[in-house]
Amino acid sequence: MSFFFQELVNGITTGALYSLVALGFSMVYGVLKLLNFAHGDLYMVGAYIGFFVIQWFGGAAHITIPVPLLLLTMFVLAGGLVGGLGVAMERFAYRPLRDAPRIAPLITAIGISFFLESSALLLFGAQYRVYNTAEFISLSSGIQIGSVTIDSVQIMVLVLGLVLMTALQLLVNRTRLGRKMRAVAADREAAEMLGINVNRVIASTFFLGSALAGIAGVMGGLLFNQVTATIGFIAGLKAFTAAVVGGIGSIPGAMLGGLLIGVAESMVTGYISSTYTNLIVFGLLIVVMLIRPSGLLGQAQLQKV
Amino acid sequence: MSVDSQGPQVGTDEWVARQGQRREYLPSWLGRAQQAGERIGWWPKLAIACLAGLALPLFGLGGFQLQVGIDALVIALLAVGLNVVVGWAGLLDLGFIAFFGVGAYGFALLSSPQIGSAGIHLPTWLSVPIVMIAAALLGLAVGLPSRRLIGDYLAIVTLFLGEAFVEFTNNVAPSVLGGPNGITTIDPISIFGYQLTTNASYYYLLVIVVVAVMAVLRLLETSRTGRAWRAVREDPLAAAAMTIPVNRVRLSAFACGAMVAALAGAIYAAQQTSVFPTDFDTPILILIYAGLILGGSGSIAGAVTGALVVMVIYDGLLRSSTEAGYLFYGLILLTLLVKLRPWRRLALVLAATVALGFAAHAIAAAISASAVAGGPQSGGWIGDALRYWVVVPANAQTLGNWGFVVLICLLITLVQVSSRWRTILLPPTLCLASFVWETRLVTEPAITRQLMIGAILIVMMNARPQGLLGQRRVETAT
Amino acid sequence: MKGRLVIAAAAVGSLAVAACSSSSNSSTAASGGTSSAAAATKSCVASVGFEGPITGPVAPLGTEQLHFAQLAVAMDNLANKTKITLVQGDTQLQPAQATTVTQQFVSNPAILAVVGPAGSQEVEAVGGPMARAGMAFISGSATAVALTTGKYPTFFRVVSKDSVQGPQDANYIVKNLHPKALMIVDDQEAYSTGLVSAMVPVFQAAGIKVDHESVSQKVTDFSALVAKVTPETSVVVLPWQVAANAQQFGRDLAQEHKNAVIFGTDGLFSPGTFTINGSYVSSFGPDITAMPADAAIARAATQKFGSFGTFGPPVFAATHVIDEAIASVCKAGQTPSRSNVLAAIKNTNEPASILGQPISFDSHGDLNGGKFFLFKINSSGKYQLIPSS
Repeated sequence: MSFFFQELVNGITTGALYSLVALGFSMVYGVLKLLNFAHGDLYMVGAYIGFFVIQWFGGAAHITIPVPLLLLTMFVLAGGLVGGLGVAMERFAYRPLRDAPRIAPLITAIGISFFLESSALLLFGAQYRVYNTAEFISLSSGIQIGSVTIDSVQIMVLVLGLVLMTALQLLVNRTRLGRKMRAVAADREAAEMLGINVNRVIASTFFLGSALAGIAGVMGGLLFNQVTATIGFIAGLKAFTAAVVGGIGSIPGAMLGGLLIGVAESMVTGYISSTYTNLIVFGLLIVVMLIRPSGLLGQAQLQKV
Repeated sequence: MSVDSQGPQVGTDEWVARQGQRREYLPSWLGRAQQAGERIGWWPKLAIACLAGLALPLFGLGGFQLQVGIDALVIALLAVGLNVVVGWAGLLDLGFIAFFGVGAYGFALLSSPQIGSAGIHLPTWLSVPIVMIAAALLGLAVGLPSRRLIGDYLAIVTLFLGEAFVEFTNNVAPSVLGGPNGITTIDPISIFGYQLTTNASYYYLLVIVVVAVMAVLRLLETSRTGRAWRAVREDPLAAAAMTIPVNRVRLSAFACGAMVAALAGAIYAAQQTSVFPTDFDTPILILIYAGLILGGSGSIAGAVTGALVVMVIYDGLLRSSTEAGYLFYGLILLTLLVKLRPWRRLALVLAATVALGFAAHAIAAAISASAVAGGPQSGGWIGDALRYWVVVPANAQTLGNWGFVVLICLLITLVQVSSRWRTILLPPTLCLASFVWETRLVTEPAITRQLMIGAILIVMMNARPQGLLGQRRVETAT
Repeated sequence: MKGRLVIAAAAVGSLAVAACSSSSNSSTAASGGTSSAAAATKSCVASVGFEGPITGPVAPLGTEQLHFAQLAVAMDNLANKTKITLVQGDTQLQPAQATTVTQQFVSNPAILAVVGPAGSQEVEAVGGPMARAGMAFISGSATAVALTTGKYPTFFRVVSKDSVQGPQDANYIVKNLHPKALMIVDDQEAYSTGLVSAMVPVFQAAGIKVDHESVSQKVTDFSALVAKVTPETSVVVLPWQVAANAQQFGRDLAQEHKNAVIFGTDGLFSPGTFTINGSYVSSFGPDITAMPADAAIARAATQKFGSFGTFGPPVFAATHVIDEAIASVCKAGQTPSRSNVLAAIKNTNEPASILGQPISFDSHGDLNGGKFFLFKINSSGKYQLIPSS
């Protein structure tokens, strides 16, 4: 039984990470109907930023400032810088394509993805960068329930993930900016006619979504320890999957989708076989999509005649 | 030029305008050339392209160029098949690569020593049709979810299936499918008893096959099936109201695309004489999509052109530093030519850039010899021309990296500012670009290749979102 | 408008003229180069190709290989007074791209031999074209058994094959670690599955309970897999290529309080990255930082590109073999060509090399007497060589 719970804990932790990345993806899609394939690479940039912050403060083994301050710096810097990068991306590459057929920004996103990955290779080199989290957050600090261990990094990921997701839900549903975002998502031209500064709303959406991806990148680095230029691709794929399975455009849906994927992977690896994990999880997700064609929490798509 | 600067017109759309012959042409002799080009029909253009393709090796193409040509033609064939599904029927199929894989693996299993003690060695005229029919059946199976799923939801399910294919061939039944080691020693294609073993022979085969498939698809495009596909893409409800069997039409699109992909897969397997699971992973899918959309989704000629352009650049030109340099400088000059409006301004910017470069070089040389010790890394005449123009220090890695970051920031700024500031910022940006290229990018050709293809995709989609040969469509808001 | 057209035409025209003239220039340069080499053996000019996964899924490995190849060429040019240039081609570990790069090298008359490719699948894809062009190619990391059965007459490798390393390591585990149960995980690449299929029979014959798992190289979270490690399992065998993944696996083991010992192969040999106390690493390459004979190389490598693992030194050895072959051909007064360089490589007989053993090839291209080095990692993360008994 404890094996089940251990796998569950592992699954929920990784699921929370996928959810964070999926959230940003879903937000951007909701407002712009754009599948931003470069979103995963923003995750990668965030992870690198976190790594360099650790190096700046003395390297994993000799941190010169208290660990909570270090973590705060990492998150704030990663969120801010990656958010800025997202805004720049939107301004430079996506704004001219706002009225183009939906498939054109797909290729721009692919181009940005190539560019970001190879820039990381060029600027940071190809070798693996290792966070060495265990050096400054001891492996034994955590809680143990029976024979189920949850270490502090996992707890942090879960808590921070929950906090961010709730904050985002509140932002979208209770604040003025959130109202504007929902308006732009529903009908951009009408929103413009109502006096909403659409460009600024879209820029804010991109900033928030990208910042989330950056923070998720730092968390990924803390959890999985290794950073290289290609981690973004898988993260992006999982984000895309989680967002769509949960119902694209819906924030609770992205959360649910990410958790579902994380837990499914964990359980299948644990109970069936690690060889066929991906195959079985894919099959599961296809079944989910066939049962609920608009995703788990998505709204049924209205077809305008 | 002036046509493309306007956005989609409210109340007017391309189809209506085209029907009403109210087309605007480029001014003066370019417009007359455009009109003459349009008088030539589609079929004569295809014949000209076919002859040009067949005649190309006679101009002395070496083994490498033939290989690039083969790769490009395979992707072109795949793009044309994808065009049926994405461009004509409007179904975003992200698992298309699986049909390519089915074709390749199917051919490999049927024409190699893999199955049984000596293997099945079916002759080509038998194995290729079998493989195509198998792929068509798989296409029907994949298309079945499209009844309930629309748009991006269909995309994710097809993506799963595409990934599942790679996992399947990598992990399931390794004794039959070969696992990560794939299937090697595949028989070559034999046509009327003649076995194709050289690159040149596969090149000719591919040219003929691509042209034939284009012809068949053109016939389909102008037939009832093609019109049904386009109707379903534009408005499924209206199509259903017009008694078009929407689901069956979608399934036929999937099947047709799958058959073309399987054909490409069979030829690919025979030419490579081996297939591995990693040959059918997402990077190849990205290339096909890039080619299709760059060339113009919805147009057969566009799909082929875009795929050829992308592959010749990515797989051919960018693999060699000197040619990457030509492309780099050439594209910069081209962008300047197209974007800087009065030609006096263009001349001013170019003159300022040249002057700034010489001045910077002279100043840097005066300050310290090591600042210009590394010569421009580009080979050939570019390096010689730039020797006294670009500043390249001796140990330039960190400096080059910083230059790269500053260059990106400058480029983003250039987009935001007013046109006067743009003129002022352009010469330093151009000098910096050349600096970064000569210092850093040329020494890492593998990374530069990825950088440049990314940059080219971004710039080309910004410049022409409908693709090179695509038609601008007005999309109704959903 | 007209002014722009004039400038445009001038630019295009000059580019075209330049392109044409430079292509004819480069071809004459190539032929000029070889003829001048005949005239003056003191300027031994040649090119060596490098095929590797410089970008793509295993970019860290490919870049390390590239750096060591460049280092070897630089050091050998100094020592032998040759003018060898390294031409790089990126395969991204895809056999189709390896074929294209091979065709590029084959069409370049200046390239006389090739280092690489890195993966066994790529060797299968390019073996034919290389043989047809009579071009020798030496791989520093392709270990599949099927490659040296005579199919590829111009293929050589400076590492031992799976059928040697697998049973040797498995026997060590059985005799020295005495596990009752073990878990062996492959990473779904050919290198890994080859070793696993060589090792599992040995374990099963010894009556050990074997749990065979499989994860893709792209996976970076192993907590689910680690949860499957039973208390009985005392050894986890990880014949992986990516050391950082194994380090993460070790962390997850510690975090879930499992006591299994990790036994890894060459991919895990990475003193900067894989440092789990008590682990074993079996490598076809020695720890060159610990070998006095390799001090100069290790110093240069660390200075230029930081830490490195086990994929670089064999590529250094392979490049060195080619450089020496070219130099010997020049010294004998001949013009280096693909055929005489191939012959010289076949006759390679170096008494010492960076790998700590002599290098010579058998008739199928395998390294004669390939040694394996077993290391154990101590609590400060240092790799200690276990002397072979």
